[in-house]
This record gives sequence, structure tokens and C-alpha cells, in this order.
Amino acid sequence: MTDLPELDRTFEAVVLDWDATRGVVSKAELARLRGRLEELCTAGVPVFVLADGRLPDVQREVGFRPPGPGRLFLCCEQGSQDFEVTGDHAVAVRGREPSADESSALDRAARRVADALENLGFDATVEETGRTRRRVVAAPGRRDDPSGRSVEGSGMGPTLALRPTLGETRLASLARLQAELAGLADPQVTVGVGDIEFALTSKSDAAQFAADWLTKRGITGELILVVGRESAWPPLARAIVLPPGGRARPSKAGLRAGPVGLSATLGAQLDRRAKRLVPQVDPDPAWVFALCEDGPRQRSAEALGSLSNGQVGVRGSREEGGPSAAPLFLAAGVYDHDEHLLAGPIWTEVDLVPTPGPGTGHRLLDLRTGVLARVDEQIGLRSLRFVSIASPQLMAFRLEVPSSMLQPGNPVRSPSQAIDFTRRFSGEACIGVSRDSARNIAVAARDQVGVVAGRSSLERLAAWDTSTAGKTSQLESKRLLREGEAAGFEALLAEHRRAWADRWADAEVSIEGLGAAADQLQVRLAVFHLLSAIGETTEAAVGARGMTGAAYAGHVFWDADIFVLPALTALRPAAARAMLEYRIRRLPAARATAEACGRLGARFPWESAGDGYDVTPRLVDDGHGHRVPIATGPHEEHIVADVAWAATHYATWSSDRMFVARAGRALIVETARYWASRVQADAGGRYHILEVMGPDEYHEVVDDNAYTNVMARWNLREGARLLRSERPDDREATHWVDLADRLVDGWDSDRGIYEQFTGFFDLEPLFVADIAPPPVAIDMLLGADRVARSQIVKQADVLMLHHLVPEEVAEGSLRPCLDFYEPRTAHGSSLSPAISASLLARAGRPNEALERFRVATRIDADDLTGTTAGGLHLATMGGVWQALAFGFLGLRAESEALRVDPCLPDAWSRLSMRMQFRGRRVRVEASHDQVSIDCDSPIAVRVAGGSIEHCVPPSRTFSLPARPEHERRRR
Amino acid sequence: MTATEPVVLAAIGKTHMAPFVLETAAKLGELTGTTVEAVHVGEGLADATSTLAATFGVPLRRLRGPVASTLLAATESAHVLAAVIGGHGSASDDRPVGPTARHILEHTTRPALVVPPDVRLPKVIRRCLVPLEGTEPSSRPVLEALGRLLRNEVELIVLHVFTDETLPRMLDRPYQDIELLGREFLITHCPPAGAIEMRHGPVASRVVEVSEERDADLIVLSWSQVGGQGRARVVREVLGASARPVLLLPIAGVGPEQ
Repeated sequence: MTDLPELDRTFEAVVLDWDATRGVVSKAELARLRGRLEELCTAGVPVFVLADGRLPDVQREVGFRPPGPGRLFLCCEQGSQDFEVTGDHAVAVRGREPSADESSALDRAARRVADALENLGFDATVEETGRTRRRVVAAPGRRDDPSGRSVEGSGMGPTLALRPTLGETRLASLARLQAELAGLADPQVTVGVGDIEFALTSKSDAAQFAADWLTKRGITGELILVVGRESAWPPLARAIVLPPGGRARPSKAGLRAGPVGLSATLGAQLDRRAKRLVPQVDPDPAWVFALCEDGPRQRSAEALGSLSNGQVGVRGSREEGGPSAAPLFLAAGVYDHDEHLLAGPIWTEVDLVPTPGPGTGHRLLDLRTGVLARVDEQIGLRSLRFVSIASPQLMAFRLEVPSSMLQPGNPVRSPSQAIDFTRRFSGEACIGVSRDSARNIAVAARDQVGVVAGRSSLERLAAWDTSTAGKTSQLESKRLLREGEAAGFEALLAEHRRAWADRWADAEVSIEGLGAAADQLQVRLAVFHLLSAIGETTEAAVGARGMTGAAYAGHVFWDADIFVLPALTALRPAAARAMLEYRIRRLPAARATAEACGRLGARFPWESAGDGYDVTPRLVDDGHGHRVPIATGPHEEHIVADVAWAATHYATWSSDRMFVARAGRALIVETARYWASRVQADAGGRYHILEVMGPDEYHEVVDDNAYTNVMARWNLREGARLLRSERPDDREATHWVDLADRLVDGWDSDRGIYEQFTGFFDLEPLFVADIAPPPVAIDMLLGADRVARSQIVKQADVLMLHHLVPEEVAEGSLRPCLDFYEPRTAHGSSLSPAISASLLARAGRPNEALERFRVATRIDADDLTGTTAGGLHLATMGGVWQALAFGFLGLRAESEALRVDPCLPDAWSRLSMRMQFRGRRVRVEASHDQVSIDCDSPIAVRVAGGSIEHCVPPSRTFSLPARPEHERRRR
Repeated sequence: MTATEPVVLAAIGKTHMAPFVLETAAKLGELTGTTVEAVHVGEGLADATSTLAATFGVPLRRLRGPVASTLLAATESAHVLAAVIGGHGSASDDRPVGPTARHILEHTTRPALVVPPDVRLPKVIRRCLVPLEGTEPSSRPVLEALGRLLRNEVELIVLHVFTDETLPRMLDRPYQDIELLGREFLITHCPPAGAIEMRHGPVASRVVEVSEERDADLIVLSWSQVGGQGRARVVREVLGASARPVLLLPIAGVGPEQ
């Protein structure tokens, strides 16, 4: 512990300016410091030593080698060469090799300065002090000035050293001028007492190397201790800076430390680890989402603070639980016999007395590293938890409280009285099992408690496993726990942070502009939960609320296929593939359902869980004691085409382009076959799909819903294309194409828009804004019957076609359809605002798009539905990503290229997204007048409707045409 | 009964409401686990009120002085847990309460049960309708007041009425989402309640409607005790329209009228 609050934290890395430190410590103190650094390194803390000297000199002076997991980097020659010390030798990991031109320019610049100094009466020589450095050493020359003073132009030579004679500013200007004349761009210039040094690098380059290396491991900002001069190097600007000298002026953090203080500070870091104290998060406002602690928002905050690794998820409940808490631990795809996700054993609770009051302290979700931290200064509580994405069967948390508060208790607890739960102790591990006739979830956990100076620290490691009924998962969970204990909390946390850094490397979104910081944070929250929610192993059943709450019972809707999957395809293709595997494995059930309906092919259910049969409730209570039928299950058949669309989108966007021809073939063909058996011909030879429900659920059972019919048509054509790719004269394919061509789609050529379903135009023409500002649950306001008799729609229906299958709708129909349907859309679905934002952007209305976009980003953050406590709206989060990528950036996968067609709102000056496209890692950055595309291998792009061009690594920038021309192309 | 034992105070006058007030007070006494004491201000009809009180087995205290202030002072006695008063004089009277009752309601610090003239009295009070607006500052005092008041088992039904402004912005699955909203509302605002009704529209009308639908024996309303022009509209309207006793919980600064 330290009385300096800035140092009362666990640092995850140390960056040390060796020269600045060496100058102020005695030999004995230096030895002590070396010892501390070695111990830190051994404990797994990366150490970067930044030095002026060459490697042999630095190695001799630093003189230690890290045993164990530690990483030691020696950054030598002022940022010219960086080495990692492994075993007993150093391996170069980065170097700044000057080009021949740069070497020549360095020589020329040094020579020119030397000449200039000679003219001023100095004896000047040029030394090559490194591959990237030249030094001009100047000694006083002629001694013919009797006064002993140097007077330029007096004809008398200087007698004093260089800097006292000419002054630092003047010398620096002279050096920069000569460098420029020598063709040396932007050199580092250092003016010494008797010399001037030119360099291509500085310690800031080494600091950049350290910052990059650490960022890739999720170690940023205040997690880094910089021991150096008072101002940090720019790449480590947010680090905590500790000046090494006792006489040092206060740094920005107001710290002072003499050599002894420095050694003690580093020693305290070792002590913190030994005592299992709670690590910190870097409080970077661009990455840390503070959960609302207001009483009524506690439960939605729990959902927002959920942590998941795609295989299991835990809500962000406070450790002490309590009546208003809803702790929940779920395993993906582990459904009970009622096809509800089985609640697993609770491993996050402790008994605290007195129980902290509601609303005190704060919980911080660190989106960058996937940890949930809690700080309550009032009662002296700190905690940090994570669900490892690097070792997915391990989870952990640490807690610090006043000793009197922490009560003994079981590390694993029953999730509810309704669950068959057993607990036993095996050695020092506590193993709890939630059982159902179908599945079990076991959690093994062990606590390590320490008490120091009136404070208790608790470390809990936990491991989970699942099994089918009748089999035990206890032994496996215990074995996994032992593995976790062998690694240790800090190593697990380090690998977890690193894994998160890897995920973000392909997913980062950044926005600049007015109000953009808030937008950016909300987007990162959405992307964080998207990156968390889906596993990559075997299959991924992605419920509407993921594993963040009990609502919707973990059931899988079109939310997964249409809203979540496109984002995952670009961010984590393997997770998207696992989502499709979930559908592939449920084809037998879908086929059986189709057969039971008297159809061919496969009919996927509106709500799906473990076995793949429909689990949509048939009847629900209407709140007034009446049982009312739910029409979505029998009638929302568009899910069939939605699944096919997801498969095609994945294959089109990812590098897995053969997916639809192989593993995903049946998802396209069997669904097309279903539609072929579902359509009905009229006397005129036109085909119809009767008695369906579109995405607009305000109009329950209708005929020829445009969304359903056009998606079915697209599905038939895709199926036919696939069959013909195998057998060009396939008769079934010919039949499907004929059906598709004759399937009505609601197109009204006179009005230039689609009719949402037969008879829609005859309904009462109401505009939402005349009744209430959207978004609004207008069915509650006006009553479902009145809304059903009107043209008010719940969400994009016709417009959804322009989002998903623009090639299937009439050219130029987006704008008139938006003009017609947008004022009639209540956005009474959480799915709606994001898609609306995307389409408004595509229609060249980016400022309106931003309004809708911001609603979408706030749905869970502000609990606009009132149901976030039941879990997060993952589909909305997917929609948010889509609005950015497909709407504002205008990305679309063309057969030969990535189309980029940005349309930013006035408030934003820049939008940048990282993602994968066809196996390439790309970053697309757009401003109002240009687009830059970074890529790791060549990629074809079509920017703003122009011709296909090629980007080669690392990047290429395109100018955007002036707005009118850009708009014209977009039409 | 000793002076320190809590009582439910029944304020009876010369109107035909007196028996209803006494009977309601008796039922509130059963609910709160306390005895009932009747008070009457004035000399008139002394025998009648005594006889009536005796019929209900309730001790009667006669008080002298200005009616409103004397009754108010009586309700403020330390041992008074709650007061029961009659509403307007007759069903045809369009004022929800008379001036005496209004004076008490606006100034007493005790929960006050208002008995409407056309009251439909249950055998026992077993179901209370508790309208809550859904904010922590308004819900907590109601819960605390009910916690102090209710001793015996009673079914609490919470009613939350959405206004146009508080309506959820989105309902993905209307029935299920409303059910979820209701569940969360109860957990957050009134954990002891067994059920919740969620409605949209004019608050007072919905309160009266739901009290009829759910056959509530009592309506519990918080109120800020500011009953002037344009204030306490919900309280006034419910008192005016409901045939069920209305328990008003005086809570400064909050209430469904806000």
C-alpha cells in the first residue's frame, strides 16, 4: 500500500527510462532496483527498459534475466533497436533500419552543421553514433579573443563550449535548417553542451513499440507505470508517470519518488500480487461503460454488465446479491426439458455484512478487456471479475472489503429454488450442479481468502462443465479448476485481456465529430456484447437476449440470422459459421415440420431452442385473465427465407465461399423447396403466399406480405441458382425460377412503391407523428385492433427488403418507399430504428439516419423497452453495427469487390471500422470527402459507385466525388 | 386498550355515513391488528352516536371545539395509526369530500381512509389495489407506509398506468413484454405485491376500472396533501368516482397526481 493514490493500484507493465533512472541512484540502490525488476518480470509483468546505449552496454548495466513467464524488452539506441531478452540472449524484435538515402542525408546534414560551426570558429567533427544517428562534436577553436568571449562575426573565435556560446534554441534552429537543406525529413535533434546529435529515432519510438506491444495485450493507459522524466512519451500519455529522482518536479500525476521510493513502489507491486489484491481497469472514457446504479435501473445494469465468452455468460449482479438482484449463469444451448435455458450454479456471490446499500459505488464494464470492475469507496469495496475468452471454461473474480464485512459462505450456490441443485465439497473445491432431466451444468470453485491490515481479499476461481442428463460433469469441472489454479488468476487475466485485444483488432469502431464520443462508446458497447455472445465451437444457439437475462428463455429467432449474423460474419466469421451450424443441425426438425404441414423441404420455426421444433407459445395471458393466441409461430414464415439469407450472406462476405455449395447447401435448397410447395396459384397463373405475418406484427395474418413474398422469391432463385450450378438443366430449378417470376410482390408501378400486403393501401392512412413521437409502442396507445385497421406499421417490412435484398426490389424504389413507409412506422420494435438508420443513410438522409441510430444505441443503455432487465437486445446491437457498416459506410459485398459508399451525418467527421472481408483484414475509414482502406492483403473495392479498383497493403485513399455527383451515383 | 396502544380512529358525525365509517374502521382495524376508537365532535345526536358506536363495540370519545381542527388534532394523537372519515355527504354531491374531511386529509400526518357514500363494503379487507407511478421516490414511501400499517395478510395488487409520456417506446412481443415489464416493476417497486396490472390512459379512470375488475376492497393512493385547484387530480377523481374505500397515504412531494 502507498499513500500516493496514483500508485495504490496494480500495474500490469513497467516502462523504465534507464538513463534517467541510472543518473539518480547509487550502486546499491541500482542493485535493489534491478532485483525488483527481475521479480516483477518473474511475476509476469512485462518490463521495458528504454536506454540511450547500445545493447551490450544496456545488457551489462541492467544485468538481469527474467526467469518464468516475464517478458523483458531492452529498447536501445534511443528507439533504434528493440530486443527481447529470452534465456541468456537478446533477440531483436524491432529495428529502425535507415535507407541508403536516409544514411546519406544524415551524413550530409551532420557535415553541413559541422561546416557551419567551423565557420563560427569551432573545431567540429562528425561521429556515427549509431545506424540512425550522427553527432557533431564541436570544441572551441581559435583562442584569439582576449576577453574570453565568443562574438560571432567579430573575427575572434569562441572560447566557451558550443551551447553556452550559441544557445540551445539557435543551435537547434541551425541544425534543423541544415537537415532540411540536406533532405533529412523531421530528424530528432538533441543539443548537448558541446555537441549536436541528429537521429532518425528517439525514445518515443521505443515507447511507441512498448505501447503497441502492450495494447495488443489489453494493457493500456493507467495500467502502465512509466518510470521516467516528468512528461510521458506521447504514445504512453495516459500512463502513470513516476519520476525516478527524489528532486524531480511533480509529474502530471503529482508523484515524486527517490530511488528508494522507486524500489519500494515496485516492491509494493509484488506485494499486491502476493496478497491477491484486486487489479484495476484503465479508466479510459472511450472504453469504459459505467453501469447505472439508480435503484430501478439496477437490474437492467446487471444485463448491461453481463460477461460472456460465447459458451457461458454471467450477469453483472453485485456480489452480495439481495432481493433486487437477478444473478444468472447460463450455458449456450443448454436447454431444460421445457426448452428454456437452464440456470446454472451461481459462482459470483459472497456474503457481506452489512449488505452494501443500493445505489452506492459504481460498476465499470471495461469493454476493451472484458472485465467488470466495482468500486465502492464509501465502504471500501473493490472487485473485478471475468469470464475467460482465452480459457473458456474458466472464470474468476477478486474482491477486497473491510475484514469485518466478509462472511464465510459457499462459493457455489443454487440459482433458484425451482432448480434441482446439489452441492458437495471435494478437497478444497466446492462443486455445485444444476440438474434437469435433459441437461446438467456443474461449476467447481475455490476461494482463497487473505487478511491484511483489516482488509480481506478473496480470490475465487471457477470452472464449468455441462453434460447430458445422467452423466456427471463434476469431475471435469474440478479438473478444469485445477488447471485454472495451476495457471493462476493473474495469468488467466493476462491471457483473457490479450484475447480481447485480439478480438478488438478485427472489430474496432471509432467515430469522430460532434457528440461522437458518446456514439462511439455506445457502439463499442454493442460490439462488445456481439463479440462476447457467440461461441465458435460446434454450434451456436444465439437467443434473442444472448446469455444476459432470462427473457425469451434463450429462444432463437430471426434476430440471430438477420441481425446478429451479418455483424459476426465480418467480426468473427467462425462464430457466424457456428450460428449456421445451429441451423444445419436442426434441418431434420425443419424437414419434419414442413412434412407435418403438408409441405416439402424445410420449415424453420419462428422460435427455436434445443430440438429445432417450434417453441413459440401458442397461447399467452393477455394480462386481463384471457388466453389469447399468438400468431407468430404459425404465420411468421419468413424465418424460412431468413435462414437461407443468412447462409448466403455468410458465404458472400466471408472467405468460406463454398459454404452454400457444401455444408450450407441444404439451408438454401430445402428452404426453396419449402416455398415451392407453399405458394398457391390463382386463376391467372400468378402465385401467392396466403395467411402469413410479416415483420410488421401489427397486422397479424395477411395475404401476400411483400417481405415474405420477395424473400421467398429470392430464396427460390438462390435455390435454383445453386441447383443449376450442379446441373444446368435441373428441372426443379426451372420450376422454381418460374414460380419466382410469377410470385406477386406487391409492386404498385403507378405509385412506384410496394404494397405491404394485399389491401394495405385500403387501410386508414395514419401518420405516427400525428399521434405520438416515434418510437412508440403505438399498439398500447391506440389498441391493437385500431392499429391493425390502419397503415401504421411496427417496423421495417417492405423497407427491410431494401436492406437485405436490394437486387430483388425495383430500382430506385428505396426513396419512394421510405417516403411512404417511414412516416407510418412507429418503430415499436427494438429491431426497427437501426435498420431505419441504415436505409435513411443509403437514401442520402444521413442526419435523419443519425437520429434513428442514436435511438437504436440507447435501447438497452436507457432501457427504452423497459425490458432490458430481462436481457440485452442482441439483435438491436447487430443492427447498430449494420447501420454503421451497411448504412453510413455503405459497405456491400459485390461478387468481385467490396463496395464502399459512405454517407456520414454532418455531426460526424470520421467513421472507421475494422472487420474481415473474404479472409482479409480491412479497415475502412471515411470522412466527408475521402475513404481510406487499410488491408493486410490485396482487395478489390468499388468506391462511391466508381469502377473496381485494387487496394494493396498497407492502405489506399480515395477521394469521394462532390455530393451531387455522389448522390446521383447512389441512385 | 391503553393510551399507548395504536388505534384506528373513526371520525363519525351526524351524517348517514357514520355506520359505514365505523364498519370500515373495524375492517381496517382487523387488517392492521389494532382496535378502533370513535370520535365525535359536538353535542348533537349524542345518544345516536353512542348507540351506534356501541353497536360496533367501539369506544366513543366526545370532543368539543371547532370540528375540523378538533378532529385533526385527534388524528394526530400519538396512538392513532390511521384515521377513517366519511367522503362526501351523498352520492349526488359532486365534491369528493366535504370541507371537514378535506381539512383533515390535507393536514394529517396519518394514513386516512376515506369511505365513499355508496361504499360497497367487503366482509374483510383481503385485497388492496396499490397504484404506483414507478419511480423510486414515490414507491418507497408507499411501501414503508404500508409496511407500518398492515399487520395481517392481504393481497396487494399493484396498478401501473402508463401515460402517453411514460408508455414503453417498444414492445417486441406485446403480451410477453408487458408481463416482463410487470414482473420487473414489482421487483423494483413493490416486492411484497402478488400481482400487477398495467394499463394505459387516464390514471384515475384506470384506477377505478381496475379496482372493479379485480374486486379490490381498498384502493391505496399516496398523495402530497396539496389539494388546491389543478392539484391532486387523480386523488380527487378517484375519491369522486370510486365506490371502494380509498386509503390516502400522506407523502410529501409525491403521489399519483404528479
